[in-house]
Amino acid sequence: MTGEPTPTTPVETRLRDLRPEVSPVELVARVVTFERRDVTRRSDGSRRPLLSGLLSDGTATVRFTWWDPPREGIERGLVLRAVGAEVREFRGRPEVTFSWKTRVGPASPAELPRVDANDVPFRTVGELRPSDEGFRVEVRVVRIALKSVTVGTERRVIHEGLVADRTGAIALSAWSDFGLNVGEAVRVAGGYVRGFRGRPQLVLDERSTVVRVEGSDLPDPASLLAAPPRSIAEVEDEGGGEAIAVEGVVVGLLPPSGLVFRCPTCQRSVRSGICRVHGQVNGQADLRARIVLDDGTGALTVNANRADTERLWGVTLEEAQARLRNQPDPSLLEEQLLETLLGRRLRVRGVGTNDDFGVTLAPESIERVDIDLDAAAEELTARLGERRG
Amino acid sequence: MSLREPAWRVTARELESSLEEEKGEGERAASYLLSPFAARMNRVLLAGTLSPAESIGRDEAQAFWRARLSDPTGAVAVTAGSFQPRAMAQLRASSAPRPAIVVGKVHLFRGRDAVVYVSVRAEGVRSVAEAEERAALADIVRQTLDRLDLMERVEKEPALSEETLRKEGIPLAWVRAAKESLRRYPNVDRPAFRRELANAVRRVAGESGPSRATLPTPPTVVVTRAAPPRPPSPAPSAAERAEESLFLDQLDEVADVSADGYADLKEVLSRVSAHGLAGERAEVILNRLEEDGAIEEPIVGKLRRA
Repeated sequence: MTGEPTPTTPVETRLRDLRPEVSPVELVARVVTFERRDVTRRSDGSRRPLLSGLLSDGTATVRFTWWDPPREGIERGLVLRAVGAEVREFRGRPEVTFSWKTRVGPASPAELPRVDANDVPFRTVGELRPSDEGFRVEVRVVRIALKSVTVGTERRVIHEGLVADRTGAIALSAWSDFGLNVGEAVRVAGGYVRGFRGRPQLVLDERSTVVRVEGSDLPDPASLLAAPPRSIAEVEDEGGGEAIAVEGVVVGLLPPSGLVFRCPTCQRSVRSGICRVHGQVNGQADLRARIVLDDGTGALTVNANRADTERLWGVTLEEAQARLRNQPDPSLLEEQLLETLLGRRLRVRGVGTNDDFGVTLAPESIERVDIDLDAAAEELTARLGERRG
Repeated sequence: MSLREPAWRVTARELESSLEEEKGEGERAASYLLSPFAARMNRVLLAGTLSPAESIGRDEAQAFWRARLSDPTGAVAVTAGSFQPRAMAQLRASSAPRPAIVVGKVHLFRGRDAVVYVSVRAEGVRSVAEAEERAALADIVRQTLDRLDLMERVEKEPALSEETLRKEGIPLAWVRAAKESLRRYPNVDRPAFRRELANAVRRVAGESGPSRATLPTPPTVVVTRAAPPRPPSPAPSAAERAEESLFLDQLDEVADVSADGYADLKEVLSRVSAHGLAGERAEVILNRLEEDGAIEEPIVGKLRRA
């Protein structure tokens, strides 16, 4: 008798190798995000708890659904071993489901598959899509800054910025300090891509590796941040972008524009003294302009903050409030603001995000543009003349 | 698509020359006015001299105002009703002609005898300094020339792919509009239109003064505008004459046996195509006969001798 075959290692399936035809499987993966829900049974109306989110093992990120999960003890970053997980396909991507037949238990991060940074394929920034994982990119750091965020009850410092190669730019969010500096060229492995406000974002954590490289074929940061304006049609086509510049004419304002009131806690705008999250609050006055900018090829929304609005309008927040006291109708203020802005030519740089209503630009700079009439007339005369002969 | 419609930069002349409409299908679908010069317009931006507005509302509660915007190439009616309260207030704001920028939706009304009335339902109106009006006009002329150049390229190289043009930064919507304009307005005199743009350029250069405001017409009179003069088509060749007479013969035959005395357009087209006059060619002949006043189409799809 030859005996039982010795179990070959690893017995687990890598997430990138999941196939709906091969189910159930055993896997080891880290919880990236999750949320709890209740699903109402149609038969008797009873509620069944459900936990769903994203799992990652460094080779891929997949959605998972966990029926009747433990009440507590699940948190972001926890590594799980699941035996008998079912694999299904949804919209062309594999998903895993933990049911009563699945045994799920905690595992050590050391049990996660070792992903060799030299073993994953190179990708370009232009190719990256949300939930991509297991790739390497070589990029230039265009911007990097510290940001403090609240995760649950804990405050953490993350490094946010922008990196780019010749094919495009992508937002960066690093949960560990890699000592990144503006202008450096780096090779990054072990990151993943998530969708954030309709834009892909490259996320690095403690498992990621960053190596300095020469990167002579990478664009320099200054040229990226000072790129000439592009047509709004192009920007719409690409669904926004990290460092975009457009030039157009103000054709309208979207509500709420003008004098608005914000919740002192969360800065959300307050309607009839009620904040969507914090209930009845004492709203703080602020100025804003949601500008519809149009260049003839397309249109996008520019969310101008108080400083920009004051500068473009020539009216300060205090003056606007004084006007409101004399004429207690906030819509008049919006009208006066539009009256100043309509038809004005602006060049705007910033981050463009995309949703059902089109592209919204969070501006880093808004400049007025004045057309040189003599030069324009000369150029147009020349263009008309070209075909006369 | 839920994206906001861009404001096409057009001259009054281009709007005046636009006859072809594209009605969207389904609920709340946008409709478009296709110009002969590659603009597929839902929303437009114009600059020129705005005349004082006159009330054309019949009902006190349903105010409706109209003014005329004149630029160096022509003039177009600008309207605003109680659904555009701000634009209406702006239209009414002045009793003297003034330079202005207008953003609004194009509106096409097909009256009796197939006369087409184009107007702009204002969304935003602003009185501006002359320099600003000239700057806006420069933008309008530049984009109009861009579209004319695009039409010429598309005409010369019909095989040019949308992808190639898109990589050059030319919006897909422009390429499609250019192709559609070439198809729907096969006989438009683009050089003549370019010559009209020269007037606008003189205005940009400051060599000519503000456009004279056309006098507002009294509210009791319906504003009519003759269909834009089409460039004289070249004298038809013998072959074309033969095609015309074939068309007319078939039309008479169909009309003779029909109950109402009209010839059904589809039937005539299918008969002439059986005689070798098919598709676009038949359309061209049909259009020319209508233009020459030989036949008319008093009911859509029904033809008769004029």
